[in-house]
Amino acid sequence: MMQNSLVLALIAGLLQAVLLMAVSPLLSGLSRVIRAKMHSRKGPGVLQEYRDIMKLLTRQEVAPSNCGGVFRVMPFVLLGTMLLVAMTLPLVTQVSPMAAGGDVITLLYLFAVFRFFFSLAGLDSGSTFAGIGASRELTLGILVEPILMLGLLVVALIVGSTNISNISSTLASQQWAAPTATAMALLACAFAVFIEMGKIPFDVAEAEQELQEGPLSEYSGAGLALVKWGISLKQVVVAGLFLAIFVPFGKADTLTVASLLLGTLAFVVKLVLVFVVAAVIENTLARGRFLLTGRVTWMGFGVAALAFMFYLTGL
Amino acid sequence: MMTPLSWLGLSLALYMVGALLSLLLCRNEALAIRVSGLLSLVGGIAGVIAALPVLLDGGVITADYAGPFAAFAHLTLRLDMLAAFMVLVISILVVVTSLYSFAYLQEYRGKGAWAMGFFMNLFIASMVALVAVDNAFYFIVLFEAMSLSSYFLVISEQDDEAVGAGLLYFFIAHAGSVLIMLGFFLLYRHAGSLDFAAFREAHLPVGEASAVFLLAFFGFGAKAGMLPLHGWLPRAHPAAPSHASALMSGVMVKIGIFGIIKVGIDLLGATEVWWGVVVLAFGAVSSVLGVLYALAEHDIKRLLAYHTVENIGIILMGVGAGMIGIATHHPLLALLGLLGGLYHLINHALFKGLLFLGAGAVIYRTHTKDMEQMGGLAKLMPRTAVAFLIGCMAISALPPLNGFVSEWFTYQSLFTMSHDGSVGLKLAGPAAIVMLAITGALAAMCFVKVYGICFCGAPRSEKAANAREVPFSMTSAMWLLAILCVLLGVGAAVVAPVITNIAAQLSHTSAIAMASGASVFPGDVTQTSLNTPLLFILLLALPLLPLIIYSVKGGSDRLRFTRRGTPWACGYGYEAKMALSAGSFAQPLRVLFAPLYRLRKTLDPAPMLQRSLAATTDAAAKVEPVWDEHLVLPVVSGVQRLSRLVQWIQYGDFRAYCLYVVAALVVLLIVTMA
Repeated sequence: MMQNSLVLALIAGLLQAVLLMAVSPLLSGLSRVIRAKMHSRKGPGVLQEYRDIMKLLTRQEVAPSNCGGVFRVMPFVLLGTMLLVAMTLPLVTQVSPMAAGGDVITLLYLFAVFRFFFSLAGLDSGSTFAGIGASRELTLGILVEPILMLGLLVVALIVGSTNISNISSTLASQQWAAPTATAMALLACAFAVFIEMGKIPFDVAEAEQELQEGPLSEYSGAGLALVKWGISLKQVVVAGLFLAIFVPFGKADTLTVASLLLGTLAFVVKLVLVFVVAAVIENTLARGRFLLTGRVTWMGFGVAALAFMFYLTGL
Repeated sequence: MMTPLSWLGLSLALYMVGALLSLLLCRNEALAIRVSGLLSLVGGIAGVIAALPVLLDGGVITADYAGPFAAFAHLTLRLDMLAAFMVLVISILVVVTSLYSFAYLQEYRGKGAWAMGFFMNLFIASMVALVAVDNAFYFIVLFEAMSLSSYFLVISEQDDEAVGAGLLYFFIAHAGSVLIMLGFFLLYRHAGSLDFAAFREAHLPVGEASAVFLLAFFGFGAKAGMLPLHGWLPRAHPAAPSHASALMSGVMVKIGIFGIIKVGIDLLGATEVWWGVVVLAFGAVSSVLGVLYALAEHDIKRLLAYHTVENIGIILMGVGAGMIGIATHHPLLALLGLLGGLYHLINHALFKGLLFLGAGAVIYRTHTKDMEQMGGLAKLMPRTAVAFLIGCMAISALPPLNGFVSEWFTYQSLFTMSHDGSVGLKLAGPAAIVMLAITGALAAMCFVKVYGICFCGAPRSEKAANAREVPFSMTSAMWLLAILCVLLGVGAAVVAPVITNIAAQLSHTSAIAMASGASVFPGDVTQTSLNTPLLFILLLALPLLPLIIYSVKGGSDRLRFTRRGTPWACGYGYEAKMALSAGSFAQPLRVLFAPLYRLRKTLDPAPMLQRSLAATTDAAAKVEPVWDEHLVLPVVSGVQRLSRLVQWIQYGDFRAYCLYVVAALVVLLIVTMA
């Protein structure tokens, strides 16, 4: 019985992860379309990302002569860790498909695995731009981590558990036990998630010349295809993490086909909404100086701290 | 059938014999290296055998010997679970470093390798004996022996830096032991005996107990290298040979933690809540500032030493949470906190040992500690590189390795504290959690820098380009530790209950289940759980999916992956110097956290110590000649004046001498005639 449920959970999780991976280029494409519209350009179609990836996958990979093994394995590790996170998020159902990995702290540290290898590959290529990009990626991580941790901690404290399934189902059923605190935590996490998705003013995830995307600058061909795909998947996964915790409404609470379909539909609508909102915000902002990012992220941390204060006072 | 205590005795005896033989064989260093290494290796294995049954079965083994000072101090050995745990940690690291030393010490032939063998064995023996002894007198003696023998290891390079670092270390270590002695003296006044057993029974009034706790906390904290008493650590640990640094950073600083636990929890019973809060606060500050300062370093061993400050902070956070749990009678919090702290203690010993040995291997081949001179070593020293990468991942707390598991338990203890504690603790818990999160992110950045600058990209100097793989004895030592790092992470469900039992014995509560099947959980499986074997398997398996896409889609049409040419440099010709340096990698942080870096300059105890030392020696220099001036000088100058007075008699004119002879003759004639 134990064995069976574990196998079932693994299959369900894997299915969810593969589906997310399959749709992630679509959402990146959507972001590109919205940007083009806001720039009054014609722009590529929604499916452009798929075309890019498919084309790149057939091309030869050429790397600098000095790069080592980390550079080579990074694309696979990148997609692997994000698939693992995707397996554990309760996106469509109230409970996580794979509860064994569904601890919020574990999830945050899985993102650290992503960041670790992503930046290491940048240094491994020996390129200046890749190196600076790696440094910035990690610096941003340091600025975001406290916001995300404190924001998630507030909801975890309200629920009394750090497991994402518990948080999600309690927030869905209890009609927000501490509404102000939860709302503030939502705000703080939305801010952190926006940064993690790699958006202006902090980052431009799809612009090759940008330093932020620096670790990619030496990738080419099939390797580049996988890394681009990995970054798209990361954006979807980060948005999914946010939705799973803070917008748990419309999820399937029973495991019937109808409710699962309804839950999937609700999730798709929520996900598209997040991407549209993020794209609109991104394109109305200007790119800021990197070294001043710290001043902006203090605001996010302030909001998270405020959420915690509201939690303490029981609001 | 040997008892754990006789195994322990055997291991101590082996270390002592190793030390003596190494001393006797000073003429034949090759043999001295082999003999002292082999004996400490076997001694380490005996130590592991001694510790394991106590850890697995629980219980306390004590033995009383008269000892040479029976009049006032009994030589009592007490192997409780905490002591056995420490013996295990020390012994594992001893086994590995001895293995490593066979090849590594060849570098030191002719530079006193025999003395290193002597002091290493003495150092190890004093640490092992220290954790098992149950009497304040012997404790202090062994503590001093440990400090002194490690002092000689620090100054083994004999250059200015090493001697200066050794002096600083000597002073801070002794300032610490003075505090500890004072603490023990206060306890002795109440207990009337120097035995720890009597200390445990002596119920001190709150004020005095707090004084003892604070004295011990700062005394042992100096040994542990916690902020702000850390100044010696980043100078002393790098100065020692790498296998000694591994032992100092991996184990010796843990003696400080052990002391804090011993006095705070075992002897005093952690009765006050604020003790735990103090430990937690110092831990949190140490962890963040330790890693921040590590990031600014580009001497690889100094960087690792600063990370020791960070990890000591993380361990103290767990221990602090545990002490708060004991004081507030919250068994779950007590167990979780101590579990997190002790788990991180062994984990840090393993991965910091691994990293120092790896750094030693790199220095062995490149002969520099400066990371800017390394680079590209992953291809030249592949076995070292992979082991080092595992160490980097473990210390960055990446799942599913051991560092992550212990930090996860620490997070859970702080979460429990924030959830169940009083208002003050509810504030302290999240503050500590946020600091732990920042520490984690900073550590990841720091080790990307270490691995990226040292092992990735192109060689940055001639020395690095000519490096090759180190001998088998060194790689095997590193790999042993790397495998243990993975095992202690993946096998969390096996390890956690054992450490929970130690925590339960310390806090005098019954153990709470923390694991079932392959997963671990913070006392309650419905709260949350962590299944490390599953994470491990999935992290290895899931990259296969993109690999399949990669190989299927490419098919046979795609040309093979090649490495060719140089990185893109905006159309200019690429030069190796364009690759990012260690300093510029951490530059954004130096800007963002500039005030904290300034703090280090103002808080550094080294200049103040230097100044007060200079003042003391000046004063001594002024006092010393007083005797000379008032007693010796008058006599000397009197004699000189006298001799100047008689000088005119003989100034070299031989006619005058003739006159003397004639005069003397005349005088003699007159005398004899009369």
